[in-house]
Amino acid sequence: MRSEEDANRAVDFYGDTVRRICMIHLKNMTDTEDIFQTVFLKYVLHTAPFDSPEHEKAWIIRVTVNACKDLLKSFFHTRTVPLDALTETSQEIPEDYSEVLEAVLALPEKYKDPIYLHYYEGYTAEEIGRILHKNTNTVYTLLTRARQMLKTRLKGMAEDG
Amino acid sequence: MDKNFEKLLKESLDEIRAEDKLTAQTKAYLAQQIVQKKRRPRPALRAAAAAACLLLLTTVSAGGAWVYLTPDAYISIDINPSLEFGINRFGRIVSVESFNDDGQDLAEQLDIRYMDYNDALEEFLSEEAVQAYLSDGAFMSVTVACSDDEKSSRILANVESCTAGHSNISCHSANIEEMDEAHSAGLSLGKYRAYLELKELDPSVTTDEIRDLSMREIRDLIDSYDAENNEQSDSSGNSASENPDSGGPKNQGYHHGTGHGRHEDEN
Repeated sequence: MRSEEDANRAVDFYGDTVRRICMIHLKNMTDTEDIFQTVFLKYVLHTAPFDSPEHEKAWIIRVTVNACKDLLKSFFHTRTVPLDALTETSQEIPEDYSEVLEAVLALPEKYKDPIYLHYYEGYTAEEIGRILHKNTNTVYTLLTRARQMLKTRLKGMAEDG
Repeated sequence: MDKNFEKLLKESLDEIRAEDKLTAQTKAYLAQQIVQKKRRPRPALRAAAAAACLLLLTTVSAGGAWVYLTPDAYISIDINPSLEFGINRFGRIVSVESFNDDGQDLAEQLDIRYMDYNDALEEFLSEEAVQAYLSDGAFMSVTVACSDDEKSSRILANVESCTAGHSNISCHSANIEEMDEAHSAGLSLGKYRAYLELKELDPSVTTDEIRDLSMREIRDLIDSYDAENNEQSDSSGNSASENPDSGGPKNQGYHHGTGHGRHEDEN
């Protein structure tokens, strides 16, 4: 088990990354808090050493993506509505950039991670394939389809705006 | 689309940061989990520790029970009823075995299990049926068997002091090997020793023939053979007056044996 110092360093260092992935997938703060606790507790319990800081970051991203998927698939989650979703205390999206971000958030689930990892984290299709445990060609296909969907949506937004 | 989209997406996502409250809550949660997990032994270790404790407890209990319930000395009592008391290393009666129907009846009447063997012997001698046998002229043989000579002598001395008030009780000691031989022949130790004594005088005698005889009857047989031999000795010129102690018609040691541990050896 890792020390409290290690845990605090990981939360400070990777907290924003985990938060962004949560924001892409989840719709309320309660779920985000759950994912935070789950991801960093797994980190504390994961005692195998990482080869490099990049390896550590990729591990955090993979665990976060999987935790979000598990939560979304869970029986309880698919049949209940959290209180904060009703009281509108959910994720805050910066207004100035909301169009692009909204377009990404509107994508089907399977396209969100490749887009985030490629455009924000700067990973190649091959690296994304390793993180998400997907074939590289599958990642290319997902990115291509996601781009087309985003184009259509952003074009429509521009025309509307 | 790509460059502009990438720039806009980065700028908007850069605005997303883990809130201070969220990081503080997570850190507090992790600190609590780390303390709890350190304090709590791992389930596997806990299960292993519990299993080890259980095994130790079982072993100690089983070992203790085995030590307590295993006899390491025996007292064989033969009148007509033949009984054998097993004594554990703490001097307690842990088994009562009967070798004939009379013995079985007597064993059922006795409540001496886990009693100190001295008390048990007192209890046995005060038993109405035993008193009846003794007052009726029966002969009682008490034989102590133990692999430890020192312990055997100690038990024999105690047994002799218990039976000191009775003139028709004879006490002896034997070893465990003799007892095993007796059991192989289907006899109690005291009766087997009497059988061996009789066999020396009459080699044709078998265990089946003496199995149902009382000790008094076996003793009378031995005495009659002794008397016969003495008569033959007298007629062949080996006068008893020349050897007054060379095996008279009555072997008094068997009949009045208090304090006479190994009478057969003396003859």
